[in-house]
Amino acid sequence: MADASAAGAGGIRIANVGHTYRPPRGRPVTALEEVSLEVAENEFLALLGPSGCGKSTLLYLIGGFLPIESGGISVGGTPVAAPGPDRGVVFQHFALFPWKTVRENVLYGLEKQRLPKAEREARAAAFIEMVHLDGFEDSYPSQLSGGMKQRVAIARTLAMDPGTLLMDEPFGALDAQTRSLMHEELLAILKRTAKTVVFVTHDVQEAVLLADRVAVMTARPGRIKTVVDVADVGGAADAIRDPRFVEKVDFLWGQVRDEALAAQKGGAG
Amino acid sequence: MGMRFEQDGIGAAALRLLAGTGSVIALLAAWEVLARAGVVSEFLLPRFSDVVGRIWEDALGGVLFVQIGLTVWRAVLGFALAGLVGIVVGVVMARNRGANWFFDPIVSIGFPSPKIAFLPVFILWFGLDDSSKVLMTVFAAVFPVIVATAAGTEGVDKYLIWSARNAGASERDILHEIVLPAALPQIMTGLQVALPISLIITIVSEMVMGGEGLGGNMIQAGRFADSLGVFAGIVQIAIAGYVLIKGMEILRRRLLAWHQETQQISTF
Ligand SMILES: Nc1ncnc2c1ncn2[C@@H]1O[C@H](COP(=O)(O)OP(=O)(O)OP(=O)(O)O)[C@@H](O)[C@H]1O
Ligand SMILES: [Mg+2]
Repeated sequence: MADASAAGAGGIRIANVGHTYRPPRGRPVTALEEVSLEVAENEFLALLGPSGCGKSTLLYLIGGFLPIESGGISVGGTPVAAPGPDRGVVFQHFALFPWKTVRENVLYGLEKQRLPKAEREARAAAFIEMVHLDGFEDSYPSQLSGGMKQRVAIARTLAMDPGTLLMDEPFGALDAQTRSLMHEELLAILKRTAKTVVFVTHDVQEAVLLADRVAVMTARPGRIKTVVDVADVGGAADAIRDPRFVEKVDFLWGQVRDEALAAQKGGAG
Repeated sequence: MGMRFEQDGIGAAALRLLAGTGSVIALLAAWEVLARAGVVSEFLLPRFSDVVGRIWEDALGGVLFVQIGLTVWRAVLGFALAGLVGIVVGVVMARNRGANWFFDPIVSIGFPSPKIAFLPVFILWFGLDDSSKVLMTVFAAVFPVIVATAAGTEGVDKYLIWSARNAGASERDILHEIVLPAALPQIMTGLQVALPISLIITIVSEMVMGGEGLGGNMIQAGRFADSLGVFAGIVQIAIAGYVLIKGMEILRRRLLAWHQETQQISTF
């Protein structure tokens, strides 16, 4: 585990990780089996895979929320044991605090970090503006649309400036325009302050556009099926017309489709 | 109808109050008419206006406020203690398996049992003064708070707790800053159930044990065939109860401002 050469000092190393859910009632579900993956420091890895294959589970394991039962995960050379603000998570279902306003939601983590008050306020305001929610600072989550809530969740995590970003379908609830604005904002932030990113998505084009590498997972129990290097395409807004871009998207589409079909068969049987 | 009242200040507020209490006013008017018509004797049903006169007299003499004050003080003190104990026990039950093992059967047996039946025990143990009345009230009002708090605490969305941990919150922070606020709607519901129980049990205890206070006074009036006093007591209790319950509603709306939108949506 201490070997940091491959993943880089700040990278993520996942070695032979499995996870089985054991609900109090019902039978155990093996979500992940023998997953091995390395994400280099400051690399952007997108994670694709059919619904229910264990993508969120993998993020929760890296985040330290679930116990690591088999195999090992280290982030920045340190084995993961508990959650921490060094690994900022954008949860699939937002997990905003309903009794806190937009501003208070964004401020919460900054208060826990004991940042000086002036800086907290400034950062919260800047990130709320970044996700175009200025004017809604004093609204409660119950007063926002799904896409707005999602943007609060993104602002809240980005404002903490974590070295590692774990994003679970962070733009899934957004319309195409807002989504592409958010792509630009995210890439701009990563250019300013480099981060290691694991980004779960169902949108193949989004994955190729944003990521350095794209990993495709198999149907449940999830394993890593293929990893494709896409660093040479994407990034710019007009990249989607690049034939090499189209080629990579098509290839990945095929991979995900096969697994989605397998998942359907598995689900029926 | 309601829409027309919204706009103009005090007049509108008065109208709304009138609309909200119309049925009570009609009932009181019927009482007055019935009593005046002489259908039943003055003794069995004194006029409402005479009852109000008696309350007014007591108010001028200052007795009224001492009596209401004593009863409300006992009820509110018992309620507050029940709230405190109930929230602590509820949280501990939901978060600690051993505590759950210990308290769960006690609560299951205690909640549906008629608590007032324990009154003789309280009298034996604590005598006839305030402490036994207040403790009787605590005992009766604590169960709904325990049950509501335990259910609310258990039901907290685990992702809220995860997201607080992710922000660097300690386990203690999480209890204060996440679990309790998330469970607050249910805790408030438990308290709203406990409040009228507190008032009822205090008054019944006063009736049984005698002494100062609305309940004791009413029993006293009954013994002396003072029918005006009995009905005055009923009206006073009704007013005290109404004020307490309304106060609690306002508190709930204040504390759960963030929750109201969801409530409103869910009622449509
Ligand atoms: N708390 C849980 N208890 C039992 N089983 C669970 C639990 N959470 C997830 N699972 C199971 O584990 C599997 C993987 O779930 P996970 O949420 O990681 O999938 P996912 O890849 O993120 O799916 P999606 O794309 O739909 O979000 C699913 O089949 C699910 O049934
Ligand atoms: Mg998921």
